[in-house]
Amino acid sequence: MTQPSLKILSSLVGDIAEAILVRNSDIPVYVDSGVADFGIVGENVLFEQDCRLPVVAKLGFGKCSLVIAAPKKIQNLSEERIATSYPNTLKKYLKKNRINASIIKINGSVEICPGLGLCDAICDITQTGRTLKENRLKVIEKIMDSEAVLISSPNLSQDKKMKFERLLTQLK
Amino acid sequence: MKKIEPKILKGTRDFMPLDMAKRNLVMNKIRRIFEKFGYDQIETPIICPAETILGKYGDEGNRLTYNFDDAGGRRIALPFDLTVPFARYYASNWQNLPKPFKRYQIQRVWRAEKPQKGRLREFYQCDIDTIGTSNLIADTETVKVIIEVLKELNFDFKVKVNSRRLINEILAGFGVPEEKFISVITAIDKLEKIGEEGVLKELSEIQNSKKILQTLKPKETNKKTLESLSKYNLSEIKEFLSNCKALGIEDKYIEFDPCLARGLDYYTGMVFEGVSKNSDFGTLCGGGRYDNLCGMFCDEKFSGVGVAFGFERIILLLEKMGEFKNVRLNSKALITIFENKDDSLRIYSQLTASGINCEVYPEPDTIGKQLKFADKKGIPFVIIRGSDEIENNQVTIKFMESGKQKTIPFNQLSTYLTNYYENQGRDTEERAVDAAKPQDPIVTCWRYS
Repeated sequence: MTQPSLKILSSLVGDIAEAILVRNSDIPVYVDSGVADFGIVGENVLFEQDCRLPVVAKLGFGKCSLVIAAPKKIQNLSEERIATSYPNTLKKYLKKNRINASIIKINGSVEICPGLGLCDAICDITQTGRTLKENRLKVIEKIMDSEAVLISSPNLSQDKKMKFERLLTQLK
Repeated sequence: MKKIEPKILKGTRDFMPLDMAKRNLVMNKIRRIFEKFGYDQIETPIICPAETILGKYGDEGNRLTYNFDDAGGRRIALPFDLTVPFARYYASNWQNLPKPFKRYQIQRVWRAEKPQKGRLREFYQCDIDTIGTSNLIADTETVKVIIEVLKELNFDFKVKVNSRRLINEILAGFGVPEEKFISVITAIDKLEKIGEEGVLKELSEIQNSKKILQTLKPKETNKKTLESLSKYNLSEIKEFLSNCKALGIEDKYIEFDPCLARGLDYYTGMVFEGVSKNSDFGTLCGGGRYDNLCGMFCDEKFSGVGVAFGFERIILLLEKMGEFKNVRLNSKALITIFENKDDSLRIYSQLTASGINCEVYPEPDTIGKQLKFADKKGIPFVIIRGSDEIENNQVTIKFMESGKQKTIPFNQLSTYLTNYYENQGRDTEERAVDAAKPQDPIVTCWRYS
């Protein structure tokens, strides 16, 4: 999210709450530790972090899919090098499908890795599939669909829970 | 020269490297859980003055305790279990130890039994004890540790719990004379093995035996069992169950079973037993609260609580469950060696520096021989660098299980191997299929007498 989105968010929550903008992968930490009472984050991030915080609502935006994609010549992922920013999710997928492969953790621009010879396949999020196509990557399998969800901190006070309800109606 | 036969004593074993890999895997899991709950390890000597071991386990125990004279004419005994050596240890060291004291001990013990399947003369036990507090928090914590260990080892299990005080109260209420408590409890303890009729037969001399049995038999739920015993003093069980809840122990793991007795003579409070839900598997661990374990060694009275895991039985059962199918020896990769031996040695040095367990074939030889060696040792990756690979700055990895080969840039080798995700362990479903297969009965239980 960029600064304007913080503005939008602040206007949405109004005087009920104070909005803070942090890196998406840090949101569960803020909420779990109680520094933030709730957070808006993608399901893919929660899944990656094995985050058990309660999901209060699905928000219907930020929709994407986490997929495994590779150049055409790759048919079978076994023993291949797969680059991803979601190593835990990929591990779960490999486990479920009994695939042995090497995982390369990359923090961004994962889609360019196969072309550069760093890996044989990637595991990344996609919305329209355009970036994948531009990099001549074909989706082999979809791991999960994801959208933005509202998570809440455990052990919220009654007062905060009520404020939370009000906010939820506003966001919806 | 006449050769000496390379034999070992009956009831002892040589462990092959793969056996040790399995045993270490399990032992480390158990150890990690013990340590997670603040238990520290101690060890006690293997050779002990005979009087510190003998006479603690009844006549049968005496007969089964290894003891002999050493060269100095001292009578020596080998530990029969870890409880008595711990009692001796605490009696001689308690003044220098924190109170309460929590220890774990994983050591060999010896019993001169007739060796048979599942019954050995030399085997391991894994014990934890908390001594120096009579608070039920320690009992609950012990049960929590049992649950964590059995969960970690993938058993489908429950923990039966009971209170010795409660059994005594119930028996006294039915007019059973105190000297008969032991025989009544011993009979009732066999309920699952010999059935109701068998138990009643053993209790033929006891008045009200049918009523006693009806009273002690667990009902469908813990709540119903508690309700059925409401006229007795249930404060101990209730506090224990309430502690369980606060400690996050799920109800499904705990079964309040008023029939559970366990090692009747020295347990005085809560008793518990981890049992596999697969009826052929039986007891995995057992323990309880004792009020005066060190009484035989010192005047001070120390209340304690502990549990012993039957390590050898656990290993046998896990093997049957197929939990060791993925266990391998230490080397993850074999680096082949040909004419250019310096190149192989460089790779060896590089991979070990990256923390990858691996080995280099010890002498230049044919690829066939080197692959055969990898196969025999169950090494999953074989690293090959022929002249083509050297020229292109690449390396080929051969996957022994699939037979597949993959050539990657040489610089990526360490990362590839470090981050290789290999499917370990099996699904619950597969385990259930294996567990349903008929099992040989295994007897390793020992009852204190």
